[in-house]
Formats: sequence, structure tokens, C-alpha cells
Amino acid sequence: MTRINPIEILANGMAAARMRVNTLASNIANAETTRTADGGPYKRRDVVQVAQPIPGGFSSALDRLSMQKPVVSAVVEDQAAPRMVHSPGHPDADKNGFVAYPNINVVQTMTDLLSASRLYQANVTAVETARNLQSEASKILTQA
Amino acid sequence: MRLLDTLFDRSVTGLSRTMDLTWKRNQALSANIANAETPQYRAIDVSFGNELEKAFEAQTGSLAQTDAGHIDNHSTQGDTSQLVKDLSGPTKPDGNNVDLDLQMGRLAQNSGDYANAARLIRRQIGLLRTAIRETR
Repeated sequence: MTRINPIEILANGMAAARMRVNTLASNIANAETTRTADGGPYKRRDVVQVAQPIPGGFSSALDRLSMQKPVVSAVVEDQAAPRMVHSPGHPDADKNGFVAYPNINVVQTMTDLLSASRLYQANVTAVETARNLQSEASKILTQA
Repeated sequence: MRLLDTLFDRSVTGLSRTMDLTWKRNQALSANIANAETPQYRAIDVSFGNELEKAFEAQTGSLAQTDAGHIDNHSTQGDTSQLVKDLSGPTKPDGNNVDLDLQMGRLAQNSGDYANAARLIRRQIGLLRTAIRETR
């Protein structure tokens, strides 16, 4: 049998979900940030998540598929044009009186945040399941 | 496995094989849950093949291995279980086909199977212990 522990895969899932939650939280917090160190408004950040085959993830000779773990390969900035709001008098307004706001839909980001945190919980539940199974197995030794 | 077979009937071997296979399935389902939001990820599952039938089949005429060259009829070399594509969920726009609710349900059912097999093995060992102890 393979030596892969499901808890290891799920830990990767939790890390990826947490990264997603952090990124979405940063997007919500900065939805109105019009000035950053790089100049210009805050740019929406997005995680790029890929599935990575686990070495030795083949558990029997017949397996042509392998187990994969989720990995956040990069956090990218949205390059879309900022949202222009007419607000003369704002310190960051351009010469026509328009202020560049980040292109962030707060409502959509909130729902994404909810779904990411649910996914984190699903991973935690699966970790608990795996731990319960291991304790059932060890009870064979201790309580037989 | 040898010692188990001399102390118990075939069922303990079958039950331990059940635990092996349900543990493997637990890994596959866990991988699906971990990857529920990974674009392009395709869900997997474990096909047990006829492994359980093989494990529970009564092998009364179990052959003694008196020479290293003899075929070991207890070996799991011909393991027919394998990871298969799980096409049960709809494919989402990002190319991922994991249905989280379905996977959680399967995980619960699979862990029940595992726990039951473990309990039955414990019971078998408990019976043996009773036979040893209860001589009053």
C-alpha cells in the first residue's frame, strides 16, 4: 500500500483555502484604496491554484492516475482598467476630476470568501475523519 | 497475514483487506476534497475490482510454502484495485468536476465501512481472548 497520508493532502488543501481567504480579505479591505506604494489604485489579487501529482501517488500497479495535491503557484494582480469615479476635489483625482478606484465587486468577493471558508471547513472535517479512522485502527491493538 | 490465518478464519484477512482498500479510497476522496476549487482538476475514485471477493473467498486448501520458489497464494501482487476517473459530478466552467457534497457523503460512508471492518476484527480478537481466558 502507498505511504501517502490523506491528512497531508488535506493540509495542502487547507493551506490553499487559507491563501484564498487571505487574498479575498485583502481585496475587500482595499476595495476603496486609491493610492498604493506602486502608484495608482490597489489592484485586485487572485490566487492561481494548480493540482500537483504527489510522488509515489500510485498505490497499485494498475493505477494510471495518481493522487494530486492543490498548490497555490502564484498570486497575480488583476490588470483590468480601474473603475473611474467622477469626484473632483479628491486628492487622487486626475485633471478631469476622475478618481481611479480598484476594480473590485465587494458583493461577489464576499460570496467568494464564504465559499473559500466553507472549503476550508470541508478540509478540516475530512482531516477529522482520517484521524477517526486511524484511531479505530489503533483500537484493534489496545482494546481487542 | 500468516499468523492471522492460523488463529482466525478467512474473515479477518478479508476484513483487513477491506481496511486497506477503504483507506485507499479515503485518500482518493480526501484528494478530491482538497482540490475542490483547483481549476482543471478531475475527480478520482478507487475501483475495488474483485479484491474483496478474493479476500473473503474461503481458501480452505491453503498451500504450504515449503520452497521459496512456490507461489504465495496470500500475496496481494495481483492487486486489481485501481484509481479511476470519477465522472459523477458536473464539470464547472473552470474544468473542475468535484462535487463537494457528493465527496463528503462518500467520505462519511467510506469511513463507516472502515470503522465497521476494524470493529469486526476487534470482535474476532475479543472472541479469541474469551476462549483463552474463560476457563472457569
